[in-house]
This record gives sequence, structure tokens and C-alpha cells, in this order.
Amino acid sequence: MKDGRDNAAFEARLEAAEQAAKAERPETAQKQAGSAQRAIELAMRLGVEMVAAMVIAVVIGWGLDKLFHTKPWFMILMVPVGLVAGVRNLLRAMG
Amino acid sequence: MRGLTTAVLLGILPSAALAEGTMPQMDFSNPLTLDQVGWMAVIMVGLYLVLSRWGLPQIGKVIENRADVIAKDLAAARAAKIEADTAVAQLNAALVAARAAAQGEVARAVAEAKAKATADAAALNAQLDARLAAAETQIEAARASALAAIKPVAAEAAGAILLKLTGSLPGEDVLAPNLDAALLARSGG
Amino acid sequence: MAGPTINALEQFSLTPGLGGLGKAIDFSNSNEAMLAAAAIITLIFGAGLKARALVPGRAQALVELLYEFVRNMCVDTIGEEGLRFFPLVFTIFAFILIGNLIGLFPYFFAFTSHIAVTLALALFVFLFSTGVGFYTHGFKFFTFFVPSGVPGWLLPLLVPIEIISYLSRPVSLSVRLFANMTAGHVMWEVFAGFMLLLTASFGIFGAFASVVPLGLNVALAALELLVAGLQAYVFAILTCLYLHDAVHMH
Repeated sequence: MKDGRDNAAFEARLEAAEQAAKAERPETAQKQAGSAQRAIELAMRLGVEMVAAMVIAVVIGWGLDKLFHTKPWFMILMVPVGLVAGVRNLLRAMG
Repeated sequence: MRGLTTAVLLGILPSAALAEGTMPQMDFSNPLTLDQVGWMAVIMVGLYLVLSRWGLPQIGKVIENRADVIAKDLAAARAAKIEADTAVAQLNAALVAARAAAQGEVARAVAEAKAKATADAAALNAQLDARLAAAETQIEAARASALAAIKPVAAEAAGAILLKLTGSLPGEDVLAPNLDAALLARSGG
Repeated sequence: MAGPTINALEQFSLTPGLGGLGKAIDFSNSNEAMLAAAAIITLIFGAGLKARALVPGRAQALVELLYEFVRNMCVDTIGEEGLRFFPLVFTIFAFILIGNLIGLFPYFFAFTSHIAVTLALALFVFLFSTGVGFYTHGFKFFTFFVPSGVPGWLLPLLVPIEIISYLSRPVSLSVRLFANMTAGHVMWEVFAGFMLLLTASFGIFGAFASVVPLGLNVALAALELLVAGLQAYVFAILTCLYLHDAVHMH
């Protein structure tokens, strides 16, 4: 029949519109997870993550020393632990 | 990995600019440094209440409303499409039915006409046959009556002729059979 | 150093705001900026909600964009449960974003460049997410610090590392925002100081030469605009991430 092609085109457009109305959310969400955005996000975290873990570790060490009068052993012990925790933070930030 | 190096560079950059002078941010002898946090708490609680009770639900409602309208419009389009499709199908079916009915009608009319024609022809034939038969019997009757009428005349004529020729009149019983045979030979053919 | 100079750090000093009233209730210029940020957010929402049109206008599109952006961030990062925290995350995001942005304008105080402010925000997020963790999982939330699939003898070493890693969250969260905002504002003032120094030292030639730091400041303004948005985003997404950890424990 003559209206066959028009009919098919309308069908396709209607289908597309319905899909778009349904899938609006996931589509925009996927767009957000661009790799460039992830790299910048990572950049904003890297330097600080390392230092923060270190600071916390040293503060805890200092507190323990104060508590047990063992200056400066806990603080020294905590430095490598803080370092590893910082690396752990980095790995988590990248993963 | 290139992403990582840029990341490291970007991360280090801000911290490099920090190491100079005494910072008002670290001046905790100024009571305002800590008091600003208290006021921030008050302001943020206010903002949270405004946003969570009024702003965000309202915007959510607007967005939801739009999604509803779009869904409704799409459903309407879908329904209209289905309706149109069924209407077209119905129309096609009606066309087909009408065509079939018309064809049936035509065929019936043709058959009827044909039957009437044959019937008429048969009637005509019968009539003609009857008339033919009637004519034949009429002719037969006419011939018979003609024959019957001719017999006395022939007998009289034959008697007269015989009288003139022989001078005597033959008996009726002799004349009659001969006369019949002669007449029969004439008309029989 | 001869001639006029700019103290690059003076911009961060706190003074009582709101005239005499501020002095009495310790309401600083920083709090004025916070109030302005909250007011701007409210005004944006008011403008966006005026029409409630099916096809949004400019203000409405802006508000809807923000709404959808933060909502998707919550749902994508935390999961469907994230919608419970959506108003909170939105408030934090909008407050920091507008705070960062108005801090870029002259005469406006950049309150996000104060470590006390960012640390308070970060500590709130940290304590809140930890509270959510204990609320959802009870004491089982402690197992968050025990990495799975690790031999037992390593645990005395790994558990402190995990705990320190966890405790460093508010520090990194606050220092990142504070450092980024402070560095940008300091660099602006430093370049402006260069301009003054050049003009004072070399007269008219110096004034021409100060086109260079001026250009740098213009470029820096663009960068700072980016950083302002990005830092607000990072703060919000990390808030979501911490809430995810609290809800899902992995």
C-alpha cells in the first residue's frame, strides 16, 4: 500500500521517543563517567591522600606516646604505617 | 599512566604555593576563626531545611511532571496509532467485503438473466412447436376436407365421362374403389 | 622590598561583619559570604521555580541541571539508597560550589579557603557517614577495617593501616579543598603584587611589562573557575563515596 513507508517511519520515531523517555537517566549517568573526568578527579585527590594518611599516623603515634610515656617510639613506628596507609589511599582512589 | 603523571603534577601544584608567611587561616587565637564554624552550622542547617523541605521536592515534582506528560503523550500517540491501524484494517476489510458482495450480486444477476433467457427461449420454442403442430393439423384437416369434397365431384365427373365414352353408367360399387385409388395416388406423393 | 606591596594572605583575615552587630555575636565576613551563598542558592531556586514550565527557561534549566547532576551522582555512587542522602549531598555541593564561585569575585570572602571551615565540613561528612555505617550494620561495621582474603597473621599490621586510611579521610577531604582555594587566591594576589612592583620600579615601562602578570591573572581566573566547580564536585562525590562505603561496606 502507499502509506507503508510513512507508517514504518512513524513507528520507528515513536519507538525511539519511547526508548528515550525510558532510558533518560542511565544514559546521562554513563556520559558522566568519562575517563578525562576520572583523571582530573584523581588529580585532585592524589597529593593530599598521601599526606593526610601520614599526618593521621603521626598524630596517633604522638598520642600513644603521650599516653604510655614512650616518646618517641610509637611515632617512629607509625611513620611507615602511615606511608603504607597513604599508598592504600592512592590505590583506593585509583581503583 | 599518562593520566597518572598529569594527576600527580596537578596534585602537587597547589601545595607548593602554600609555604609562606603566617596564614590567617591558622590563627586560632582569633575567636572568629572557630566561631565562623558555628555560624556556618546555623546557616547550613537553614539551607538544608530550605532545600530539603521546599526547593528540591518542588524541582523533583516539576521534573516528574514533565516525565509524566511525556509518557502520557507517548501513550496517546501509541493509542492513536493503534486506533488508526485498526481503522485502516477495518476499512480494508469493509472494502474486501463490499467487493465480494458486489461480485456475488453481479454473478447472481447474470445467472438469473441467463436462466430467464433460457426459459424464455424454451417457452418460445414450445409455443412455436404448438403453433406448428396446430398448423399441420389444420393443413391435414383442410386436405382431408378437400379430398372429401373432391370425391363426389370426381365421381360425378368420372360417371359423366364414362357415360359419354361407353354410353352406360357403371355401378356405384365399381366406380368407388377405383376413384379412391386414383385420388390417393394423386395426393399421396 | 621598595614601593607598594600586596599582602597575599591578608584577604583571608577574618573581621567582624554586619557592622556592630557582627562584633557582638562574632559574625565574621566569612559568615557574611556563607549567608550570601545560601541566599544565592535560595534565590536561584526561587527563580527556577517561578515558571515550573514543561519546557524550562534559563533559570529553571539551571536548577534542573544541578538537581539531575547531584541526583545522578548520588544514585550512581551510593546506589538507590543514595536518594535518602540526596538533599544533604545537594546542600553540601551547592554550598561549596557557590562559596567557591562567589569567593572569586572581588570583595567577596572565599570561606572555602579556611581550613576551619573545610575541616568542619569534612568532619561532619566523616562522622555522618561513620554514623550511617554503624546505624546500618551495627557493630559489624568494624569488619570494614578487616580486609577480606588475607592471612590472619597479617591482620595486626593491616588493620591499623585500614584504620589510619579511614581516619585520613576528613583530613584529605578538607585539606584538598582548602589548599586548592587558598593557592588560587594567593597566586592571584602574587601576580597583582608583581604588577605593582613592576610599575613602581620601572615606571612607564614597568606598567607596560605588567601586561604579562595581568594576562596570567586572566588565565588564572579561568582556571580558578574550573577549580571552583571541580573541587565542589570532588567534595560531593567523595561524600557520596564515603556514604557508599557506610551503606555497602566494601
